[in-house]
Amino acid sequence: MAELTRPSPDAGTPGDVVLEVRDLAKSYPVRRGVVLKRTVGQVQAVDGVNLTLRRGRTLGLVGESGSGKSTLARVLVGIERPTRGAVLVDGQDVSTMSRAERKHLRRSVQMVFQDPYTSLNPRMSVAEIVGEPFRIHPDAVPAGGRRRAVAELLELVGLDPDHANRYPHQFSGGQRQRIGVARALAVKPRVLVCDEPVSALDVSVQGQVINLLEDLQDELGLSYLFIAHDLAVVRHIADEVAVMYLGRVVEQGVGPTVYEAASHPYTRALLSAVPVPDPGAAAASRPLLLEGDPPSPADPPSGCRFHTRCWLAHQIGAARANCADGDAGSVPERCRTQDPALLPPDAPSAPARPDEETGPAPEHVAACHFADLVPGGAPDTSSRTSTSTSTSMGADS
Amino acid sequence: MTTSVPVDVRDRESEDTGDTGPRDVGETLLEVDDLAVEFRGDDGVVRAVDGLGYRVVAGRTLALVGESGCGKSVSSLAVMGLLPPAARVTRGSARFRGTDLLALPPARHREHCGRHVAMVFQDALAALNPVHTVGYQLTEALRARTGASRRDARRRAVELLDLVKVPHAAQRVHEYPHQFSGGMRQRVMIASALALDPDVLIADEPTTALDVTVQAQVMQLLAEIQAERNMGLVLITHDLGVVAGVADDVTVMYAGRAVEQAPVRELYEAPAHPYTRALLRSVPRLAGGGTDADGRLPVVPGRPPAPGRVPSGCAFHPRCDLARDVCRTDVPPLAEAAPGRSSACHFSAEVLGGARG
Ligand SMILES: Nc1ncnc2c1ncn2[C@@H]1O[C@H](COP(=O)(O)OP(=O)(O)OP(=O)(O)O)[C@@H](O)[C@H]1O
Ligand SMILES: Nc1ncnc2c1ncn2[C@@H]1O[C@H](COP(=O)(O)OP(=O)(O)OP(=O)(O)O)[C@@H](O)[C@H]1O
Ligand code: SF4
Ligand code: SF4
Ligand SMILES: [Mg+2]
Ligand SMILES: [Mg+2]
Repeated sequence: MAELTRPSPDAGTPGDVVLEVRDLAKSYPVRRGVVLKRTVGQVQAVDGVNLTLRRGRTLGLVGESGSGKSTLARVLVGIERPTRGAVLVDGQDVSTMSRAERKHLRRSVQMVFQDPYTSLNPRMSVAEIVGEPFRIHPDAVPAGGRRRAVAELLELVGLDPDHANRYPHQFSGGQRQRIGVARALAVKPRVLVCDEPVSALDVSVQGQVINLLEDLQDELGLSYLFIAHDLAVVRHIADEVAVMYLGRVVEQGVGPTVYEAASHPYTRALLSAVPVPDPGAAAASRPLLLEGDPPSPADPPSGCRFHTRCWLAHQIGAARANCADGDAGSVPERCRTQDPALLPPDAPSAPARPDEETGPAPEHVAACHFADLVPGGAPDTSSRTSTSTSTSMGADS
Repeated sequence: MTTSVPVDVRDRESEDTGDTGPRDVGETLLEVDDLAVEFRGDDGVVRAVDGLGYRVVAGRTLALVGESGCGKSVSSLAVMGLLPPAARVTRGSARFRGTDLLALPPARHREHCGRHVAMVFQDALAALNPVHTVGYQLTEALRARTGASRRDARRRAVELLDLVKVPHAAQRVHEYPHQFSGGMRQRVMIASALALDPDVLIADEPTTALDVTVQAQVMQLLAEIQAERNMGLVLITHDLGVVAGVADDVTVMYAGRAVEQAPVRELYEAPAHPYTRALLRSVPRLAGGGTDADGRLPVVPGRPPAPGRVPSGCAFHPRCDLARDVCRTDVPPLAEAAPGRSSACHFSAEVLGGARG
């Protein structure tokens, strides 16, 4: 592939940390009133997130609607500034840089938006859309080479360069998402933040966009933060996955651990909600339904933020009620009052903080006081026999 | 030419809730046959639905599956008598308990559907008016359809929200749509569709805009309501993964036609049409990563044709990995591929055999 679309040569070796967020928080004021808008509270959309993105690797980020995924994405690409915490590109804190430095670094982190139907300006031709980032970063490609760069980019994402003068409505959803990817690649970024890039597409063509992203990663050494609410898609594309709930990461792990040995009750519920395309297995299993909606991030629950919907906490409560020991029939007091830390699940008492400088980061962490009680093994999707209801609780009292 | 799948009535264990209404289990409620719908547009007339047939049975769920643009919504709107002005039915029938809805004058058609066939529309999440409370909108819709007094309608609105498990329904009727999450708004739309205890409910992509967790909740809700009321349910979707757990029968559509019809287990176990096979493979799977041998996600290559540009012969042939010469020239009829199931492919037997072997 021609040099115009290659990322800068200082890109480093696979596995290097390219992007890091430390204790990142973003809150929005909640305002009331029509004329004099009073601030009556804060929505903690993202509240203390640590993540590391490595060169050539993909970090998946999953969670329900409202968990803060897009907010995190917007802070990462610099559309919004964090309320607290730091974003580090190549180890340098973005907030301590000069404007020029910041702009240069911002170039290396680009975003692919969720909705291919609304994220492209309908009055701009494909060539104009893909070439638009050159206006913000004129030094990315010399003016004389831009037309050729656009043609190359279109080819790179599998579109016909002869269609450069067409308009978005002349393309299918999958093709529009390719246009969005081409635009994000125009300024030769090293990191792509993909915010639900396939959620608006037919299942039959989602794979086309995902396969494209994987090819581009191999070819260009890109790093991805891949946001989705579908764990099956994330499992396929990501080397590592972080699960968000109400602005926090509640579980994170490398490779298959999270899918095969999820240790947070919320992750278990997310996993069990993934549709199983097999009528036999689907009939035999009942998803671990989460009751209702997530609480408002303007007023998150005390203690563990998940306690209002946690099936495990309720099972423990019920089991204890049977043994009549105080916590009668309710959520355990620890869940209601103590915020659980992100720890390796098998050693919930050993405080080896993942963000500590000493020693390697643990491969799997979960934020649950009772992570060791989450029944072992995956909610097996091939031969599942009602894993959800027959957990052996009460072992803990 | 279009055959509906003959279905046996499967035993449903202990679902006699005493609230089953007048519908007999296994009774055919709605039978669509050879339906064709055309749009008049700038480029002349295009056929969006072309010879579609299916059967909706009391106590059973039919999934209508296919990619964007294959005619799922348009065919349902035709059944409801709600086609846009540019469209018209050019062929076929839709019999509700023997009465051909499509032969009725428009007003009687809609009135008949009002009582018997209800639909949750695809863009339902946008359909609620932001300036009125949810309760007001539900109440007004009920009054318009039943002529009930405001008080009765308000009571019924709360009952309906209870039925679809909106928590604290009595309080939440006073809230505005923006205070409802996507999943809760979808419940409101389902509640509204259930207002007159329809015999058949058509739900057009009821979970596509929702999270997997909420999707599971809404699917379970629909399945429960269907079973409780012995209703006939039509679930429209592009995702074969979503319906495996709730459908009894499946009709797969491509370019305005049914290309495969089968009971759900048989279809997933051994598809008889290459398109169904490709759709099934494209469902992302949690177990084992669900990839090809070379580690890539399986896809249906290319994209479906626009109406008016449907390829000759088998409409699927440019995307089919089995296509041969005959596929480019001869339209394969929807024919029996095995007892109780049909497929529109010249090589159904081969596909079926391959899947089994
Ligand atoms: N500009 C804003 N002002 C006020 N609140 C906001 C703003 N942007 C986001 N929020 C709130 O922050 C929370 C997190 O929103 P965010 O869009 O990041 O979630 P998400 O995980 O991307 O959800 P989805 O899956 O629906 O895209 C939500 O409660 C949202 O209402
Ligand atoms: N108002 C219209 N004018 C012209 N053509 C139309 C109109 N509405 C729909 N069509 C065409 O009819 C075909 C069938 O559309 P329909 O909405 O039924 O598809 P669908 O299967 O429901 O797709 P989706 O999954 O995207 O909802 C489409 O190809 C579409 O282009
Ligand atoms: S800490 Fe308690 S409430 Fe939180 S996830 Fe664990 S069991 Fe559930
Ligand atoms: S008829 Fe031919 S092109 Fe059509 S699905 Fe069958 S094998 Fe493929
Ligand atoms: Mg988002
Ligand atoms: Mg539709």
